Amino acid sequence: MKLKALILLSGFMFAMVAGWTSFLFAAEIKLVFRFNDPEAKEMREALDVFEKNNPEIEVELQTIAWGNSRDQFLREIAIGEGPDVVHIAFVWPKDMGNAGGLRPLNDYIKNGNIHGGFDSFVATELTTNKKGDIYGIPWTTDTWALVYNKDLMAQAGISKYPTSWPELKNASKMIHEKTGKTGFGFPMGSAKGNTIWFLANYYWWSNGKALVIEDSNGGYKVGITEKDIAASIEYFHSYVKDGHSPPSMLSVSEASNPTIIEALLSGEQGIAMMPPNMLRQLVEDFETRNPGKALPFVTKIFPGGSAGSKTHLGGRTLGINSHSKNPEASWKLVKFLTSDIIFEKFYTKQFPAQKVLLKNITFGPSLKGYADQLALARSWGAYADSSAQIGSMWNQVGRIFGDAFIGSISSNEAGVDVIKMVEKELK
Amino acid sequence: MLYKKNRDERFYIIIMLAPMLVVLISFYLYPTFYNLYNSFTDLSLLGLKKGGAYIGFNNYMRLFQDKAFGRLLWNTFFWLTFVSVSLRLVLGVLLALLLNSETLKKFKLTGITRLCLLVPWATPAIVAVIAWRFMLDPREGIVNQILLSTGMVDQPVAFLSNIYTVWPVVIIIIIWNSLPLVTMSYLASLQSIPKTLYEAAEIDGANDLQKFVHITLPQLMPTTLVLSLLLVVWTFNNFVYVWLTTAAGPGTYTNVLATEVFIRGFVDFELGYSSAIGMMMAAMMALFGMFYYRFLAKKEFSEII
Repeated sequence: MKLKALILLSGFMFAMVAGWTSFLFAAEIKLVFRFNDPEAKEMREALDVFEKNNPEIEVELQTIAWGNSRDQFLREIAIGEGPDVVHIAFVWPKDMGNAGGLRPLNDYIKNGNIHGGFDSFVATELTTNKKGDIYGIPWTTDTWALVYNKDLMAQAGISKYPTSWPELKNASKMIHEKTGKTGFGFPMGSAKGNTIWFLANYYWWSNGKALVIEDSNGGYKVGITEKDIAASIEYFHSYVKDGHSPPSMLSVSEASNPTIIEALLSGEQGIAMMPPNMLRQLVEDFETRNPGKALPFVTKIFPGGSAGSKTHLGGRTLGINSHSKNPEASWKLVKFLTSDIIFEKFYTKQFPAQKVLLKNITFGPSLKGYADQLALARSWGAYADSSAQIGSMWNQVGRIFGDAFIGSISSNEAGVDVIKMVEKELK
Repeated sequence: MLYKKNRDERFYIIIMLAPMLVVLISFYLYPTFYNLYNSFTDLSLLGLKKGGAYIGFNNYMRLFQDKAFGRLLWNTFFWLTFVSVSLRLVLGVLLALLLNSETLKKFKLTGITRLCLLVPWATPAIVAVIAWRFMLDPREGIVNQILLSTGMVDQPVAFLSNIYTVWPVVIIIIIWNSLPLVTMSYLASLQSIPKTLYEAAEIDGANDLQKFVHITLPQLMPTTLVLSLLLVVWTFNNFVYVWLTTAAGPGTYTNVLATEVFIRGFVDFELGYSSAIGMMMAAMMALFGMFYYRFLAKKEFSEII
């Protein structure tokens, strides 16, 4: 009995001492970094390095899917919660900052000697509001390009890669006719995803049109007609109607949907569109499944219209929660995450948003299309500067196009609906 | 004396119910009234911190004027609720009859069939939907492979992208996942029907159909009324099946009121408008409940409750 009591007491004392010791040696500052990309393992390794260099700071890595990250953060900031450092899309900082969720970083930038200086980053205008408040540091940048299966292109007898929209459609048709495989498969669904939004804008921009443009009075207006929109709907719908893209694309809302990725990996689809990190993952998966086999993928720029090939300059930004109790430590983390070691060792599937680091990137043959396309990419410009919310226009365009694709409304009605929607957004 | 005893009992009942009343006010009435208040504002997800401005009945007017409102009602009332509830009730009775049959008992299959029946019920909705989506995939799905290999179709069917197949598929998934509850409820009712009723009917020369129509069905009526009410309310408000299966697509073809609440609130960030749709849903179900109780189930419910 006495022995048992002694053992219990010793255990209790040991637990007390262990608890006290861990408290004494615990980090003084605990940060939460919310990260939305699949490279969570690599990012954790990077954070371990940060913690080693800054023993007073401990960083918890939270992960969330991109589809939910925006809503989740907005709900959290409404009640004064949320992660200290947040990973957001290029076009979100101004809205989130104006909503009171992100801390202005002007003073930190002025005093904090961020790697290369703030002007060395691309797309800084997307993080800065009209008053000059800077709500984020651009972290990574990219654009989308077309991915072709060169074997299927050769079997279809196509030696010259498409440079115009009609040529792209013809290539898609030829692949299907000559090989029986899918030509160009792209997301045509209406759920919460990238849907047809990017592709529709590339089509409009390359033809010299845009949903939102600046007017002569410094305001913003609709820069496209109902007919232009109807024509783009008919163009993209024709891929399914003519049978070279499968009807299942009508329920695919993400370029990363397994329907597309599996078809590419198994050689069942000839053409797709995607950002570079997805292409890198695709290449890795192909090499794992087919060791020693030559890579069939080649990347090329999107087709052009009267205004040439145009895609969006996309990317991710890092912001600091306005409710963070540790803004200084958060800024330290932001500086670390934008340093060159991150892109050299850990976050290697992404391109850095700093012009100097971006210049040093060796794209290699499989990513050449992205290097070419980046030179032709444009900022969201008036879309982001106007009162319209890109996210809202994006989702509504996806739904209106989707309704037209299934025949619930005509393409002309869809054109009218899109214009009305943008006008409402601009009010 | 009797009056005092009754008064004491009432007081005791009120005291015992008080904690639940507090819970109801905190977790039901307060959010409901808060939602009602939001429905009269232009609250946005981006403006949660500062709150929305009062805009009167604008959100409700907008909902009634929305050209998609008719289809939302049709999808919610007809496809999602009426078709799926009716089919579950009919299939539930048939399956319960089968499980209660002498044939299954004779071959000692009762236990295993009941166990099999519980598997879908124990499967979370998200798992059920993902499994069905895999099975229905045009390229890899087993359903298309069977259809193609048996020559029933010459091209894979994109079930979730085709407006003629998408609703039946959603309903099949709902039925698969929730039919066991209906069947088990009916089975319990079937087992409580006195055998003497059937014996008396047999003496009177009734055949199987007559026994079913004049004994079984009336005896199942209380269960049917309770199940119908529960299934209608659960299904009408259900967001999970439609959103996970089709995300309201293709286009907005399978959009229902519950998914519209989500789309408007968390895709378009219009929380005020989304609240107005939610309040309309609550009003519709309240009206349905009152009508159901007053005209269909008053007698049965007063016996049960």
